[in-house]
Amino acid sequence: MTPLINVKDLKQTIGKQKILNGLSFMLSAGECLGLFGGRGAGKTTLLHILAGIDRFKSGSVEILGCDIRKSEAFKKRLGLITQERSLFRDLRAYENLEFIAVLKGAGTENITALVKRFELNNILGEPVNTLDAGVYQRLSMACALLNKPRILLADDLINDIDPRSQHIILRELNSFISGGGSCIWSFSRIEFCRATGKVGWLENGTLSLYSPQEAQELWDSRLRLIEQQSGENDA
Amino acid sequence: MKQILYITYYETIHIFKDKILLVLIFFVPLLYAFFFGAVYSQGILTGIPLAVVDLDHSALSREVIKSFENSPRFSIVQDITTYPLLEEGMRKSVIRAGVVIPENFARDADLNRGTEILTVYDGSNLIWGYNIRKYTLEVVNQFNTGHASSYMAGLGLTKKEITNILDTLSTNIDVWYNPTFSYTSYMLYGLIMLVIHQICLLSASLTVTREKEKNCWIQFLSSPLPAWKIFLGKSLPYFLTGFFNYVLLIWFITRFVQIKIEGSVFLMALLGLLYTVVIISAGFYISLKAKNSLQATRFIMLLSVPLLMVSGYTWPQTHIPAFINNFASLIPFTWMAEGFRNIAVKDLGAGCLTPVILALSLMSITAVLLAVSFAKRKNRPMKIFNDHF
Amino acid sequence: MLSQCLAIARREFFFIWRDKDLRYILLFGPLLGLLIFYGTYSHQVLKDIPTAIADLDRSRASQELVKNIRGAENLKITAYPESYDELEDLIKKGTVVAGVVIPENYGKDLSLSRQTRVEMIVDGSNMIYATNATSAMLSVSHTLSAQTGVKTLVARGIAPAQAAAAYQSAEFREEAWFNPTLNYAYFVVLALALNIWQQCCTLTACMTIVGETGAASWYQFKSLGISRLRLFISKSAAQIITFMAVALPVFFLAFAVFKLPLRCGFLLFFLFSLAFATALHSVGTLASSIAWDPVNAARFGMIIALPSFLVSGYTYPLESMPGCLQIIAKILPQTWYFQGINLLAFKDPGWAFMSQYFLAFLIIAAVCYTVSAVIVARRT
Repeated sequence: MTPLINVKDLKQTIGKQKILNGLSFMLSAGECLGLFGGRGAGKTTLLHILAGIDRFKSGSVEILGCDIRKSEAFKKRLGLITQERSLFRDLRAYENLEFIAVLKGAGTENITALVKRFELNNILGEPVNTLDAGVYQRLSMACALLNKPRILLADDLINDIDPRSQHIILRELNSFISGGGSCIWSFSRIEFCRATGKVGWLENGTLSLYSPQEAQELWDSRLRLIEQQSGENDA
Repeated sequence: MKQILYITYYETIHIFKDKILLVLIFFVPLLYAFFFGAVYSQGILTGIPLAVVDLDHSALSREVIKSFENSPRFSIVQDITTYPLLEEGMRKSVIRAGVVIPENFARDADLNRGTEILTVYDGSNLIWGYNIRKYTLEVVNQFNTGHASSYMAGLGLTKKEITNILDTLSTNIDVWYNPTFSYTSYMLYGLIMLVIHQICLLSASLTVTREKEKNCWIQFLSSPLPAWKIFLGKSLPYFLTGFFNYVLLIWFITRFVQIKIEGSVFLMALLGLLYTVVIISAGFYISLKAKNSLQATRFIMLLSVPLLMVSGYTWPQTHIPAFINNFASLIPFTWMAEGFRNIAVKDLGAGCLTPVILALSLMSITAVLLAVSFAKRKNRPMKIFNDHF
Repeated sequence: MLSQCLAIARREFFFIWRDKDLRYILLFGPLLGLLIFYGTYSHQVLKDIPTAIADLDRSRASQELVKNIRGAENLKITAYPESYDELEDLIKKGTVVAGVVIPENYGKDLSLSRQTRVEMIVDGSNMIYATNATSAMLSVSHTLSAQTGVKTLVARGIAPAQAAAAYQSAEFREEAWFNPTLNYAYFVVLALALNIWQQCCTLTACMTIVGETGAASWYQFKSLGISRLRLFISKSAAQIITFMAVALPVFFLAFAVFKLPLRCGFLLFFLFSLAFATALHSVGTLASSIAWDPVNAARFGMIIALPSFLVSGYTYPLESMPGCLQIIAKILPQTWYFQGINLLAFKDPGWAFMSQYFLAFLIIAAVCYTVSAVIVARRT
């Protein structure tokens, strides 16, 4: 089976700083990759490159068989949730759904189903600016799924939002994956790794793949190491 | 098509929600037109304060004064009667011109003793200066003719003979296009074109910078929408309002200000169409490149005065160095201002306007090509602004 | 206390310096403006107005007339069209601005004392050209009719001395005071450059309250317990000093290098500009207190700053504008400034006369600062 995403030796620098230093990985249909790393590790950089928003320095990225440097076609089957709020602020929730559907060239017929699944009925008439973080994230995800994408890229999917919204989002994410979609989503708190299929640990510009348990163990062992060291220093 | 219209719809909603932008597009152009129209409403310099210092008090000197009194251009300031007062009045700009008739002028003139009347005018403001010089020469010519005819009458020639002699060689100065030297017909169209230029450029140059600032630009970039559709959808409302303003402002000034308007409406519409296309496309291109709205706003606003001066609309191109003329010829305003004047004031036909039409068409094509061919990718950031990447 | 003020002022300098756009605008805007305008008006005097002569007669007399016109001040004969239509075409296309048509049989008619008519045409669409061309034509026409008149009278048997006297009523000598060569560059270059300067200053002044230097650090200052007045005075002083520092190289270039005229002493001129800078800063502050973000403040400021030059009456005179507009114009500090620099550069009417201008700046500054203080106090 050909991979949906195929990244080879991807490099990105900002100024003189190397953010991504020769990343390679593949993702097949039905896979869910959790992108883990601290602040500034390069999660957003990587996701924006995959979404075809940013240029990159070198390497090759193929999505759905297209070289993303040369083609825009893959964007038809792509959904993106950004870390910073990027919905249209002066529009209401419903207008956002409608407008983004048009931008994506998708029909508006999906909207009703998505509204129901993400439980957005009550806030459709409100300006997106005033929405709570959790509701906003649900709306963002609904917008990202409007064009029935095969790949979902989500930046900071469930950080710091209310449990109810977390639950809804993870439920929909699972149904998206089981429907044959593949997803990369980033998080910065280790406990979320259980919700992923595998963890891509982004550190020093490279990506290491672990199973969720391995990632959790690695994190725990690092914590222990730091505790030990500080204990020695205190003594 | 639906996508383009939808983007247009969204952009229009935005214009109506952003109060300042709404005012900028629908109110400021008219305000400026009203303002400039009022500034130049009189149009012709008349009632120029003139002082007469008559140190001779002869019949001849009174004859001279009378010619100046009779000119509708001058209004004589009575209480300035000596040379020092004249000097002071000129220095404080109470008067703008003066006539000094020396002592014993009539007698010396009679004896051919080389005497002369001094006419002075204020050269510190050349709008005054040029006009007063012309007016003075007119009065002097008139005075001389009058004097010659009365002298001949003194020689016993009949009226008919005198007219014949004076008319042997008539030199008629025929001022075309703007015979009254109306400042309105001279300046106002250029200013209106500048207002259109700046308002269109300013409003269009914010369409993408605004999205970038609000982070919504990502929605456009990550969508499969081709660049040309984004350009068309986003710039259509500005193009329509720009052209609307063009028509509105021309209608307004010709309706409420005394200004000459002639020439083909079709040509005006054509030029206006090309003009707005160039500027809106250029504005869109600027908004792609500008860092933020503040930057775009600042630089565009500072452009206004240099654009007008460099264009050769006031100080003529023949007297501007070539490198500045070459630079100015890259700016649509330069062509438009001159082109519109050629239609409205000079009533020239399509033949004479071919270079203008060609230049503006070429600029439209270039600007549109630049605007639609943007890459839907952001450059790698050069500096780290945020603490997340 | 003073050290606090100095620290705030220093921060303000750094802010202006770090805002890259603002730095470039202030450092290079006015200077670039001066250079562009000086370049544009580098011919300085409007001589050599392109003129065409259509000599349809080609006699000795007409040739003499052509010579006469060629000698006329300010006209430059650039074309000799064969016909009236050709001349018309040249004027339409703007190749020439003035034209003279010498009719057929001109020489013959003249020698027979028959009436003849020389047509002089001026393109009126550009005022600067038109007034000068008309003046030149009037001079030509004056000498021409005098010459022919004398000849005709002599031909009628009147004594040459008497004939000459008929046309020699009075000699007129014209003098353009303050700017004897009618140098257009002297007239506009400095004022236009200072117009750019005042626009740049307005942009900066608009940041006083809403700019980053205002809003974001407001809390910092507040938590330090510095009085708002002291904060504001320190910031404003820093800005006004910056404005003047930016103007100095412009003055140097204009007066020392380009030799633009300045009749009054430099001290008076400098103080006058300083007073204006303060008044301008107060207007910018007002715009800043009304607006809610820097972009809007910049727009407000520029909506005033852009047309202010035209309304100031520096070119088209204030006296010729409608009364209500004159009143509006006098509210703007720019009007006083541009009127004032014209007086100072060309006429030097003295300190006493200029004191009313200083007073105007003072009143404007007092009113604008007070109003913005009230607005800010109400908001917080």
